[in-house]
Amino acid sequence: MKKSIKQLVLLGGAIAFTVTMMSMTQKPGEPWNIPAKYKTMKSTIKAGDASINAEGKELYNKHCKACHGAKGLGDGPKAASMKTSTGDFSSKGFQAQADGEIYYQSFVGRGEMPNFEKKITDENDRWAVVYYMRNMKK
Amino acid sequence: MKKTFTTYGLMAFLMVSFLFSTGTVIAQEETEATQEEPQKERPARPAFESGLLFDNATSTIQPSKTLEMIIQHRFGTMDNGVSDLFGIWAPSNIRLGLNFSILNNLMVGIGTTKYNKMQDIQIKYNLLQQTRSNSIPLTITLYEVIGIDGSADEKWGPDYKFSNRMSYFSQIIFSRRFNDKLSLQIAPSFTHYNAHIVDTLDHDRIAISAAGRFKFSPQSSIIVSGDFPLEIQSISEQSDVSILDSKPNICIGWEVSTSTHAFHMYIGSAQNIIPQENIMFNTNDFFDGGILIGLNVTRLWSF
Repeated sequence: MKKSIKQLVLLGGAIAFTVTMMSMTQKPGEPWNIPAKYKTMKSTIKAGDASINAEGKELYNKHCKACHGAKGLGDGPKAASMKTSTGDFSSKGFQAQADGEIYYQSFVGRGEMPNFEKKITDENDRWAVVYYMRNMKK
Repeated sequence: MKKTFTTYGLMAFLMVSFLFSTGTVIAQEETEATQEEPQKERPARPAFESGLLFDNATSTIQPSKTLEMIIQHRFGTMDNGVSDLFGIWAPSNIRLGLNFSILNNLMVGIGTTKYNKMQDIQIKYNLLQQTRSNSIPLTITLYEVIGIDGSADEKWGPDYKFSNRMSYFSQIIFSRRFNDKLSLQIAPSFTHYNAHIVDTLDHDRIAISAAGRFKFSPQSSIIVSGDFPLEIQSISEQSDVSILDSKPNICIGWEVSTSTHAFHMYIGSAQNIIPQENIMFNTNDFFDGGILIGLNVTRLWSF
C-alpha cells in the first residue's frame, strides 16, 4: 500500500513538472505583418542625436527593460512569464530590420507586446528609443 | 505665533524665489531634435512620474484616455514605539481613487477615504505646459478637490444641512522639470470648510506646498514634500490664530516607477490623505514624534 502511494506521488510530481515545463516553453514570435508606410518611415532625429542616450535610454529603462532586459537580450525579469519570446535586440536578425519596422513593433505592437503610443507620445522620443535599441548591436 | 508665521512665510518665500530664479540660472538639459527645418514647440516630459506625490497632486497629467487607479495607505504614528510596531499595528487610514484623463491636459477623479468616510471629486487642468525649448519655463496647473464628509448626520447636531459636509481645496501648481533628474514644484492653496463641529476652528485656511524629486537611478527617485498651513490672523475667525495648532505635513521617501506603476514608500506626518483634511486638521509634528509610514501605489491603463 505504502509503495503504491509513493509511486502515485512520484507519478503526480512528474506529470506536474512536465506540464509546468511545457507551459513555460516560449514560442518564437510569428513573422510581423508590418504596413508599408512603416517600412519606409523616416526618423525625425538623426543617428547620434544626444537624445538617444538621454530620453532614449530613460524611456527604454522605464517601459522596455522589465521584459527585454537592460541590454535587449530578452532576459528581463518579466520575460520568463511571456508565452512568446521577447527576442534579442543585439542579434543580426533584429538589427537588419528597417528603422520603421522596429518603430512599428515597438510602439504599435501586437498580442503580448503592448501598444506604447499612449505611453511615449512624442515622436522624437520614440525615435530616440529606436536608436537606443540600435546601439545594442553586438 | 508670530515666530511660526514668520518661519513658514520665510520658507515659502525662499522656495518661490528658488523655483523662479533657477529658471534663468540652471540650463535645462532637455535635448532637442537636430532637424534643420523649423519645428513646433515640443512639451517637456512630465516633471513627475505620477500625478500623485505622497498626499499632494503634481502637475503631471497622464495622456488622454488613461485610467489611473490609486491606493494610498497611512499607518499610525510611531510615537508608541515597538508596542504597536512603530504604528504598523495602530489604526490606519486608506484611500482608493480612480483618475481619468479626458484630455492630455484635463483629468477628473473620484475617491473614497476611511477617515470620516470622506468622498472626494477631483479636477486637474494644465493651464500652461513647460516646453523643451524653455520658451515656457514652467507648467502651471489648476487643481480642485471637493470633499464630502460621509459621517452620520448627528455629527453636525440639530442644525444639520447636507452642505455642512462639503469642503473645498483649490490649488495652483507651478512646476518645473529642470533636467532628467531634478523636478520641483510649489503650490499655494486655499481650503474652505462649510462647517465644523467645534467653533474653535477656522473655515478658511491658506497654505503653501512644495515638492521635489531627484532621480538617482533609471527607475528610482528620492522624493520630498511639505504642506505648510499659514497662520494668517486677518482671515482667521479666532482672536488668536496660533491656537489652531495645525502642523505642516512633511514627507520624505522613495519612489519607484515603471511603465504602468508608481510606488511611494515614505515617512510623513499627516494621516488624513485628502489635502484639505491635512491642511486643516493635521496635529502630528514631524519633529516631535508625529511621523508615520505611508505607502502609495498607482496603476495605469490606456484606452
